[in-house]
Amino acid sequence: MPFPYQCIQARNSGEREAAGWTLFGACGSRLVVQSSGGSNFVWPSGKNNVSEEKETEDDTQERPEKRIKLSHPPEIKSNFCCLSLSNDKQHIVAATAEDKCIRVFKIEPDCRLSELSQRCMPRRPCAIAITSDDSTILCADKFGDVYALPLFPSLEEERSSTPNSGHNEATTEKPYVPAASMLTVHSGRNRKVLEDQMKQANLGKKKTKEPMQFKHELLLGHVSMLTDIAYTTIDAGVEGGKPRSFILTADRDEHIRISRGPSQAYIIEGFCQGHEEFISRLCLTGSGLLVSGGGDDYIYVWDWLNSRLIEKLCIRDTVIQFARTNPELAASLLADEASFKIAVSGIWSVPHDQPKVRSSTDIVYMRLSNHLQGDEILVACEGIPGLFRFGIGGTPGGSAVGEAISLDGNALGVVFVCPTTGACTAVVSVDNLHKPGSTTEVREQEGPFRLQYFSYQGDHWEADTVVGGKLNWFSSRALADTASVANGQDAGSDMTVETEKARRAADEKAVRDILYGIANLRKRPGTED
Amino acid sequence: MPGEAGKRLKREAYKKSINNEDQNTSLPQKRFYRQRAHANPFSDHTLAYPKSPVDMNWATHYPAYSVAQEKEAENAADDESHDQDQTSIKAITKNVEIADIGCGFGGLLFALAPKLPDTLILGMEIRTSVTEYVQEKIRAMRAQNSSSAYSYQNVACLRANTMKFLPNFFSKAQLSKIFLCFPDPHFKQRKHKARIVSYTLNSEYAYVMRPGGIVYTITDVEDLHKWMVDHFEKHPSFERVGEEEQEADECVKVMRTETEEGKKVERNKGLKFVACFRRCENPPWR
Ligand SMILES: C[S@@+](CC[C@H](N)C(=O)[O-])C[C@H]1O[C@@H](n2cnc3c(N)ncnc32)[C@H](O)[C@@H]1O
Repeated sequence: MPFPYQCIQARNSGEREAAGWTLFGACGSRLVVQSSGGSNFVWPSGKNNVSEEKETEDDTQERPEKRIKLSHPPEIKSNFCCLSLSNDKQHIVAATAEDKCIRVFKIEPDCRLSELSQRCMPRRPCAIAITSDDSTILCADKFGDVYALPLFPSLEEERSSTPNSGHNEATTEKPYVPAASMLTVHSGRNRKVLEDQMKQANLGKKKTKEPMQFKHELLLGHVSMLTDIAYTTIDAGVEGGKPRSFILTADRDEHIRISRGPSQAYIIEGFCQGHEEFISRLCLTGSGLLVSGGGDDYIYVWDWLNSRLIEKLCIRDTVIQFARTNPELAASLLADEASFKIAVSGIWSVPHDQPKVRSSTDIVYMRLSNHLQGDEILVACEGIPGLFRFGIGGTPGGSAVGEAISLDGNALGVVFVCPTTGACTAVVSVDNLHKPGSTTEVREQEGPFRLQYFSYQGDHWEADTVVGGKLNWFSSRALADTASVANGQDAGSDMTVETEKARRAADEKAVRDILYGIANLRKRPGTED
Repeated sequence: MPGEAGKRLKREAYKKSINNEDQNTSLPQKRFYRQRAHANPFSDHTLAYPKSPVDMNWATHYPAYSVAQEKEAENAADDESHDQDQTSIKAITKNVEIADIGCGFGGLLFALAPKLPDTLILGMEIRTSVTEYVQEKIRAMRAQNSSSAYSYQNVACLRANTMKFLPNFFSKAQLSKIFLCFPDPHFKQRKHKARIVSYTLNSEYAYVMRPGGIVYTITDVEDLHKWMVDHFEKHPSFERVGEEEQEADECVKVMRTETEEGKKVERNKGLKFVACFRRCENPPWR
């Protein structure tokens, strides 16, 4: 049963070999790679316990108990939630949800992925970005914080941060001083906490969480769940000026924050204010505009450097119009049209050759002078089998709504590959498990293909069979015969029909949780005050 | 719980009785507005907040400073007053400059406002009933002093979770003073992110403050004092104000003696720890 790809990424090789590209997909707890040349790879390769058993055998010093533990490794698998490529296209950074780990892989010439490092964060990563110099990973988490980690943890750091090195503040012993004295004014509850604190201190058992044993820096934080992060660098625009870098962060409480880059991330330059529902995605377009979307009926287009809203485009109307063209979709989505709600799950800027943006004033200048070459973006919404095209800044009067691209399953992800010089093909990950238009109902028979391909023709997108032909393995066969999703349930060795069924249901539930979390970001009016 | 229900009914009847008389000058009674001490700053309260500072209806909070009112006076003969757009109806002639974050029952507000009669002061409080109490008290104080030279028009209070929504109310560099008086200590380690001062939140305070502006902190919990000093000192946008300057500041005196918590600590003969921090200029881009 091939499950859909929850994340995809693509790299196009240098200009000289325009025809070369590599596609990366995350399917549950596995990563799948295929190049235009035909090589392919699955991570982790082989069965988990094989490699671990070998390690144990090699290590003759290992004590017997430990070996026993390792020979029955509990199947701790975690599903991928973010994939990012380094700017030099040599590395891929992947985060997993359940174990909150960030892994860095080197992409080998034959498509193999070599795992270089694995760092577990204190909170679940929601989005990652890589600085343009490829030095730093920016990890935005569920608790609202952004951490900077070096792309490559150096040996020096790893050594100095091993336990017992004294680096570890939380575990160094200090005489216990309670946080307040009984003289302090307290509410009843505080007094209780204080008493407990003293009791615990006397028992000498103060439980503290294990801190991160690697170099990391807290850059900034919202008091809200972060949903997306973007990083960009802009030339100063003045003679001799240095380029300025920015971190853009979006949260569940309608905020888009613009902070300076890592070395001065404590300085907030501004906010892009206007959303009325959660924000789920940020997208910087080729010409430097910011597009944001989430639970609102509109996507927003920003001159983000000046915190200025340029326009709002009604995605809800566009989606409703699209659903009306398909009776089945209309029946399921628009039965109660008034309560139909949008949850934007992806915004992608179609690549095109354009001069680099130089400064804030240039953005506006470029929009006006290049009005035939504006940005095109594609938007996906959770549980909708289509992609929606918008031309931004394409005409002096504003933006244009293009036609929708209809898909065989709900849209999950889009990447662009460059099959020949100047050409552009969108590779779209589609949900082959759920019924188109539904995030809960499973199809009778899952669709055989997990990818669809469209070649850019300027005014429209046309099915691309060339790229599609090359990705047949990736789309249909890869992982088709393995359970690739971590569902929290262990695979039993003696599978009866019943356990098989239960496992299947657990798998489907796990897939649903991975694919469709965005609509849940919508706030439900609270009952408490 | 009949006791709870009875209490609620009494409260409602009481609040209705004071709402009925617009010109009521009697002060609200605190006992009808008490509320459990802690509200969770992370949860989705049913809060009302503007999308951005310009969307805020400031005129309802500071009616004496309403732009619309002023325009009306100007255009008394003019027929164009219906042209006023939404924003000018909501707008006021000067901006709020001082925020008392977690103002509680508003002791600081009522003491500070007459001392700075030309500066708009805003109390922000997450607990509904406590906010209502302060709002009622402001209404009563304005009514009591309506014929005096000073009538508390420069002070207001609204319900807000400042840890999430400060930039919805204030624009960049708008404030000259922020007060953080006797914040909830959140002793538990795992609740430290609930503290109103942290390295990451300090960036938001820095954002709404103008260079030279001052953050005032006071607490009776020494650990929290150290925590606040630590987190402000390690934030490059702030520098600690020296002892001499701090003690010479009128606002520090008011903060020590006029807040409800300050008075309680006084009665219990507890200690009060004060620290003030100046907002520095942003450094050049690096
Ligand atoms: C201990 S009281 C101090 C009240 C007052 N400042 C004084 O000194 O008397 C702390 C107040 O902060 C309020 N508070 C806590 N978190 C808040 C938040 N996120 N936003 C606004 N107010 C908050 C609490 O409801 C409480 O009234």
